[in-house]
Amino acid sequence: MTNAIETKGLTKDYGKGHGIFDLDLTVNEGEVFGFLGPNGAGKTTTIKLLMGMTHATRGSATIFGLDVDRAAVPLKKRIGYVPGELPQWGGSRGSEIVAYTAGIRGDVEDAEVERLARRLDLDLSRKYREYSHGNKQKLALLLAFAPKPELLILDEPTSGLDPLHQQEFYALVRDARTRGATVFVSSHVLSEVEHICDRVGIVREGRLATVGPLSQLAGIRAHRVMIEFADASDARGLDVPGLEQISVDGARVIGMYRGDFAPLIAALSAKPVRTLDSREPTLEEIFLSYYRDAEVRR
Amino acid sequence: MTFLRLAVLSHRTGAVAMALIGASSGLVNALGYVAIAGHTRLERQLFAKEMEIFGQQLTYILPAPLQIDTMGGYLTWRAFGSVAALFAIWGVIAGTGAARGDEERGLTESWLSAGISRLRWMLTRSAGFLVAAALSAGVACAATQIGTMMAGDPTPIGGMALEWLLVLAVALLGFGIGVVVAQFVVTRRVAGTLGTALLLGLYFVNSSTRAGADVGALKWLSPFYLFDRSTPLLDGGTLDVAATLALYAIAAVLVVFAAWGFLARDLGGPLVRRGVERVHATFRPAGDPLLRVPVVATLDQQRWWILGWAVGLGALGFFLTSLVRSMIDTLSAIPQMRIYLQALGIAAYSDFVGVIWFGTALFLLCAMVIVQANSWAADDAEGRLEAILAAGAPRARVVLERIVSLLVAVAIVVALASTAVYVAAGLYDIQVPADRFVLATALTVPVAFAFGAIGQWLAGWRPRVAVIVLGAVAVVSYFIQQFTPLFSWPEWVGRLSLFELYGRPMTTDDWGGIAALIAIGIAGTALALVSMQRRDVGT
Repeated sequence: MTNAIETKGLTKDYGKGHGIFDLDLTVNEGEVFGFLGPNGAGKTTTIKLLMGMTHATRGSATIFGLDVDRAAVPLKKRIGYVPGELPQWGGSRGSEIVAYTAGIRGDVEDAEVERLARRLDLDLSRKYREYSHGNKQKLALLLAFAPKPELLILDEPTSGLDPLHQQEFYALVRDARTRGATVFVSSHVLSEVEHICDRVGIVREGRLATVGPLSQLAGIRAHRVMIEFADASDARGLDVPGLEQISVDGARVIGMYRGDFAPLIAALSAKPVRTLDSREPTLEEIFLSYYRDAEVRR
Repeated sequence: MTFLRLAVLSHRTGAVAMALIGASSGLVNALGYVAIAGHTRLERQLFAKEMEIFGQQLTYILPAPLQIDTMGGYLTWRAFGSVAALFAIWGVIAGTGAARGDEERGLTESWLSAGISRLRWMLTRSAGFLVAAALSAGVACAATQIGTMMAGDPTPIGGMALEWLLVLAVALLGFGIGVVVAQFVVTRRVAGTLGTALLLGLYFVNSSTRAGADVGALKWLSPFYLFDRSTPLLDGGTLDVAATLALYAIAAVLVVFAAWGFLARDLGGPLVRRGVERVHATFRPAGDPLLRVPVVATLDQQRWWILGWAVGLGALGFFLTSLVRSMIDTLSAIPQMRIYLQALGIAAYSDFVGVIWFGTALFLLCAMVIVQANSWAADDAEGRLEAILAAGAPRARVVLERIVSLLVAVAIVVALASTAVYVAAGLYDIQVPADRFVLATALTVPVAFAFGAIGQWLAGWRPRVAVIVLGAVAVVSYFIQQFTPLFSWPEWVGRLSLFELYGRPMTTDDWGGIAALIAIGIAGTALALVSMQRRDVGT
């Protein structure tokens, strides 16, 4: 299998520790690669380097074997791109923006645009200024997917999409993979990456922390739980495998829980619980927990 | 206080630029006056006689020349007339930026959601400009005062303080116009264009009054007419208290009206809505084939902007041409003026059409290029450049397409406007030589090419300062063109002005100057290509 994307020591140094440093990364052709990291980790910086929008401080990056800087123009014809920050098209209508962009690319079929617009339920007659954030995001997705590119580089593509259209986006990614396209998608939402990716790379504070198959994520998958007991003594005595207690405040326990919920529920069933709240933690919370555990394990 | 501080800071770039322009204009004029007018009373009276004749010809741009044999009179005529107009234009740009620019960037929504009322928002933004303009005008006036002291002919500090009050009043009125216009349209670009056009219209209402045309009560609408009524730097000059208070009162009323408009309208919407647009939903790309053709696509997207410039410039040209016959008749009745006009090679009405029209057109086309350079810089900040490059457009194509579309737009605007001038000349029985007129019209394009290429280079190299630097190039070019004959500077100094390189094609050929403009344009484009290739986009 050949490499769709390959970076060697890729670095963009904005100073004061900002940027991306010594990135060695390989994305295989035909796979969906999730680039995961909290805000400010260096995801967008990496993507801008891959898109040839910014120039590396050092190191190199190739897409389909071509240097992203020197072959920036021919590569763009093979890439569909959703930027992290959407462009402001002002008073132009969606249909005009599509026609203008299609005119530059030269490889977009009107029928495909129509198919995607209907699928995303995006009315192209409206002015861009009047679009909601979600509709602007849909337009960005349409512009990226319509040329049926060999590689999709998507920077937080579900930002602003409602759950229904998030599902539609996942379906679009699956369709792209089915026709052999490679997808490089950045996100800071773990569950999103789990939905679509074959492999993930986790970036933190400008450096690649780990790369591996999706199954590796199981190790860091967690839920943030808050349990409020009727009695504070129950909180102090709570000891369940997989539950890492972050704080105990009176009768309230806040912790990070990994694994199947059955043991936790069994442990709680014998105690009077007033509130049990579980939510997906932010990536930063997961990382804090995960890396703290890893250090303890070492 | 935080919001007020931010409101002041939001005008820092404009305030610094205007302070620099005002200060340099004041210093150069104050120091230059002694150098060119001499030190003795007799020398200055002789100088004043010549300048007053010259100045009569420029009353459509500058105030009527009075007491040119005094430092105060010279500064009133040569410095503060144009500086006040520039402060007013800055006011319009700042007003539209505050009222629409902030909204486009989502800043207004953030402030309102933070609990600031719309009324407080408008008043604080206005207060912020008041502080910025007061500081900026203060620096300009202080530098002028220092210049007069260095020249050994200080003007009264009280008079200079009153001049500061006047410049500040005009700037505030410009701001008032800006925030009001911004209530009616939904983009800063359109608001800025309309506001500036309105201000220029008011400027030329006063200009025509100064030139002797009777515009009736209309003149009272012009802030510049109210400004001209005070002459605090002249010997025995006064501050027209009523006119000055009127300037401040009108500015306040405009801000209050804008605040009311802001309260009444939707965020992001205009004050007067055209009703709900009934458009059938579509899922297909636009059928307009022009949108898919390089250069033409850009022109297609800018069609209303280009049309606006063409109509505005054409109307102005028509108006100026309508004044030519009466102005020439008046000026020719003065023997010294007749000699002066002959020395300039103005032997017929048509020559004067060339001097007035193309002088004005060049300046305004330069303003059009500056607005376009601002848009190029915004393309990067607002993600459009990234989107275009991501679609596969080579960076070189972006540069070349921008410059070509600018030149086509300028050609369209100047062609339509010159047609209006030509028609007006015919209506007022002025025979304009068609071949010369067409040539002079066509040669405005190389001037736009030179400015546009420099703007393009700056927008690629340092987008945040592109407009300021390009504006400085225009202002410096203007001053060099004006000062070279006054100070008897060497000819090569005059050739540093892009406007001077245009020459006077209605009467004489200057292909060397045109070649220089084209060379500047090519060099600027080459630099723009290099800077575009090397730069990081969207950072």
